[in-house]
Amino acid sequence: MSAHNEHGERPAEVLFGERLTRRDHLRRSAMLSGPGFLWVVIFLFLPLLFMVGISVLSRGAAGEISLTFTWENFQRFAGFGELGFDPMYPTIILRSLVLGLATTAICLVMAFPLTFFIAGLRSPLKNLALTLVVIPLWTNLLIRTYAWQILLAGDGWLARAAAWVGLTGAGEALYPGTLAVYTGMVCDFLPFLVLPLYASVEKMDWSIVEAAMDLGANGWRVFQHAVLPQVKPGVAAGCILTFIPAMGTFVIPDLLGGSKTMLLGNAIQQQFGPSRDWPFGAAITLLAVVIVMLGLWLFYRLDAKRGEGMIL
Amino acid sequence: MFKKLWLLGMVLGTAVSTWAQANKLNLYIWSEYIDPEIVKDFEKKFDCKVTIDVFEDESAMLAKIQGGGAGLYDVVVPPEQVIGTMVSLKLLAPLRHQNIPNLKNLEGRFYNPVYDPGNRYTAAYQWGTMGIYVRQSKDKPVAETWGILFDPKQQAGSFVLIDSHRDSIGAALKYLGYSLNSTDPKQLKQARDLLLDAKKRSLGFESGVGGKNKVLAKGATAAIVYNGDAARGTKEDKDTYFFVPKEGSEIWVDSMVVLAKAPHRDLAEKFINFILDAEVGAKLSNFNQYATPNKAAKPLIAPEDLKNTAIYPTPEILAKLEFLKDPGRQAKLYDEIWTQVKAK
Amino acid sequence: MTRGHWLLTLLSGGLYTFLYAPIVVVIVYSFNTARYGSGWRGFTTKWYSTLWNNPQALSAAENTLVLAVASTVLATVLGTMLAMGLNRYWFPAKRLASWLLYVPVVIPDIVMAVAMLLFYALLRDLVGLFNLGLTTMVISHVTFQIPFVAIVVRSRLFGLDPALEEAARDLGATPWQTFWRVTFPLILPGVAAGGLLAFTLSLDDFVVSFFTSGPGSTTLPILIYSSVKRGITPDINALSTLIILVSVVGTVLITLMQRAKQ
Repeated sequence: MSAHNEHGERPAEVLFGERLTRRDHLRRSAMLSGPGFLWVVIFLFLPLLFMVGISVLSRGAAGEISLTFTWENFQRFAGFGELGFDPMYPTIILRSLVLGLATTAICLVMAFPLTFFIAGLRSPLKNLALTLVVIPLWTNLLIRTYAWQILLAGDGWLARAAAWVGLTGAGEALYPGTLAVYTGMVCDFLPFLVLPLYASVEKMDWSIVEAAMDLGANGWRVFQHAVLPQVKPGVAAGCILTFIPAMGTFVIPDLLGGSKTMLLGNAIQQQFGPSRDWPFGAAITLLAVVIVMLGLWLFYRLDAKRGEGMIL
Repeated sequence: MFKKLWLLGMVLGTAVSTWAQANKLNLYIWSEYIDPEIVKDFEKKFDCKVTIDVFEDESAMLAKIQGGGAGLYDVVVPPEQVIGTMVSLKLLAPLRHQNIPNLKNLEGRFYNPVYDPGNRYTAAYQWGTMGIYVRQSKDKPVAETWGILFDPKQQAGSFVLIDSHRDSIGAALKYLGYSLNSTDPKQLKQARDLLLDAKKRSLGFESGVGGKNKVLAKGATAAIVYNGDAARGTKEDKDTYFFVPKEGSEIWVDSMVVLAKAPHRDLAEKFINFILDAEVGAKLSNFNQYATPNKAAKPLIAPEDLKNTAIYPTPEILAKLEFLKDPGRQAKLYDEIWTQVKAK
Repeated sequence: MTRGHWLLTLLSGGLYTFLYAPIVVVIVYSFNTARYGSGWRGFTTKWYSTLWNNPQALSAAENTLVLAVASTVLATVLGTMLAMGLNRYWFPAKRLASWLLYVPVVIPDIVMAVAMLLFYALLRDLVGLFNLGLTTMVISHVTFQIPFVAIVVRSRLFGLDPALEEAARDLGATPWQTFWRVTFPLILPGVAAGGLLAFTLSLDDFVVSFFTSGPGSTTLPILIYSSVKRGITPDINALSTLIILVSVVGTVLITLMQRAKQ
């Protein structure tokens, strides 16, 4: 396992057949990780520092950023607005969290069979099957979502089938509604889970699974003890890459849910768009990022406590 | 050393921008809002290349120019509600009237308009209204009021609201008999409660086109839309029509402006003058099916469009229409009202 | 495992159908006569000729592809290197660095876009470069792609058996040879998955592209999102159909060629 030098407890050691000193480590990590990090720092972290700064400034009358310091944006977030106290933003965040978690959970359940199927194929077919999972995403998100509107419309055959089974009334459209939102969400995010999961599943050691089966373990226990530990890094990466964008999305919920609710993505978009209040938008974002990062950290701590600590 | 590099950068930068200056016009406009033939004619007449980029809505356009600089494009076509903001953010160059003799072709209402006294910065491009697009009912005619959305007793079937905070709140304010631009918290709260109630009974909020398509597909009976979209819908299905509610509504004007640091200011003014020509103006409106602000172009407009009250409203209706104004410092109030409407 | 296998195949078939359901609608509707409505009004191929005469859509498609390929190549190289450095070597504040990698994933794209827009404006004032256009778009896309590639590759690197590489070194291979002959083939599925993800993100990105584009660098997502106000035209469906066709046929052909080689 190479993970044992993660986070550098033992810098000088024999690694991959070489003896490396602390300086070798520094030199190599700078050579490898340096360019990528530098790129992200220059083109993202520096600009984001602006945003952090803006979050304590105020909106000018014309929607410009006025250089007056204020905590007002954070008070507004907490619910103290122009019309009195109303904690809308915590509700909005909670609603987005639920959407993100539920989408991730559904995608995860679906991603497992699909990934194992792909990984079980012969070599060139494998790549074909994997690419085929992604190709639908090369059609624009809006176009795909409009297509779901057509599929779920009242006179579509899906709505007819649902009515025939007795799920809905005759002629009743399946959208706008929660079911439609989750259909669209899962269809869009499933590949984001399949790809990272595949990277893990593909290198699984099947002899461990066979051994567990030889020892007479049942299906669930084999999965839990022989499969899951091996694919955990992929599951973690996939869940994070699905959950975070799913939590911030608003196009699909708006188009398939009738945009009757406000999500985190809408709230931020509203400030950088129509309401033209960049400072408040920056403040909402800052708080949302802190909340999500805290969540990830808790997740990491829980995982580390169980002594595996391989996720982040 | 650093200075030298800086100089080199400057030289390179100017070289690139002079190269770019050779007879080009960068136009920033809504999508499908100009007849490609007009662009071709202009390119031929002035031996230049027109590059068209499109934006999604006026706030995205504004944010982009605010951050990207007033030299990004030459001619932009924004709606009147952001003109004041663009002027105070110093994004616009005054029009040199001697270069745009065709300004005289503008109709009275758009010559010296309230949002731009003396046409210092703008020349109107197209105009229109917001109203309700509805499917005709067989038994009784639909009452032409916002009440068919906001009053449960008058509700005429399922309906869709419009997903834009100023338009939605504006419609509710008009129904209540207030100004579209009210900043009175009491009136705004009333509008909010009205919208919250309507939201529960509605199929949700959609863009103008989304609402129109739902009515066309018989997924809804009524929707708040802009008149141009409705006119296209009626063309496809004669059982649907558009009206401006009797309580009054919103009138919008998209105008041509030149950015403060436009790289091709002369050509930009030539373009504006070209569009304001009678024949070109008529061609434009016949393509778009939006109303022309150009009185010289009117005789050349397709007669069936001129007669269509969805495009050219009657004088009685016109008198009840109001322009949207930027709420300035009160923008926060509108934002909070809208967040409450959407989040609850 | 035979019983499990056909169940797996069946389930996966269902999931592929689900993923392709909207795509089928797009393809069917590219042959629909209706211009604005949503109902089926009869068969036509006219949108394909309309598309052919729509220079704006074609140049947008070209911009989209150039942008996606250029940024994906850069981001995949940088992201893979980043993951290797993070996974294998020690440096101070490493844990912090690996946490920071998640920030670009967490940041909403509108905030990223506006921040970059302001940053480029500042750079333009300082050095006169960074005029908005394809270059700034590539830079911005690479920025949000790097973390995605790095995270996926890193999950592949975890638990990779070092014995293989050790054996290569013992047999006298140089580090460079070891990397290309041993390490790279081992992590290739991760690199491919990360690269595909990055490519997909770039192809479908609207917000960052919108704010970092300049005159003439409109991409397909910008064109499509901007059409929402007037209704998306059916020639966009035609274009999407062609893109899907080319992607699927291309992927199948590559697979067949690989198969022939074996």
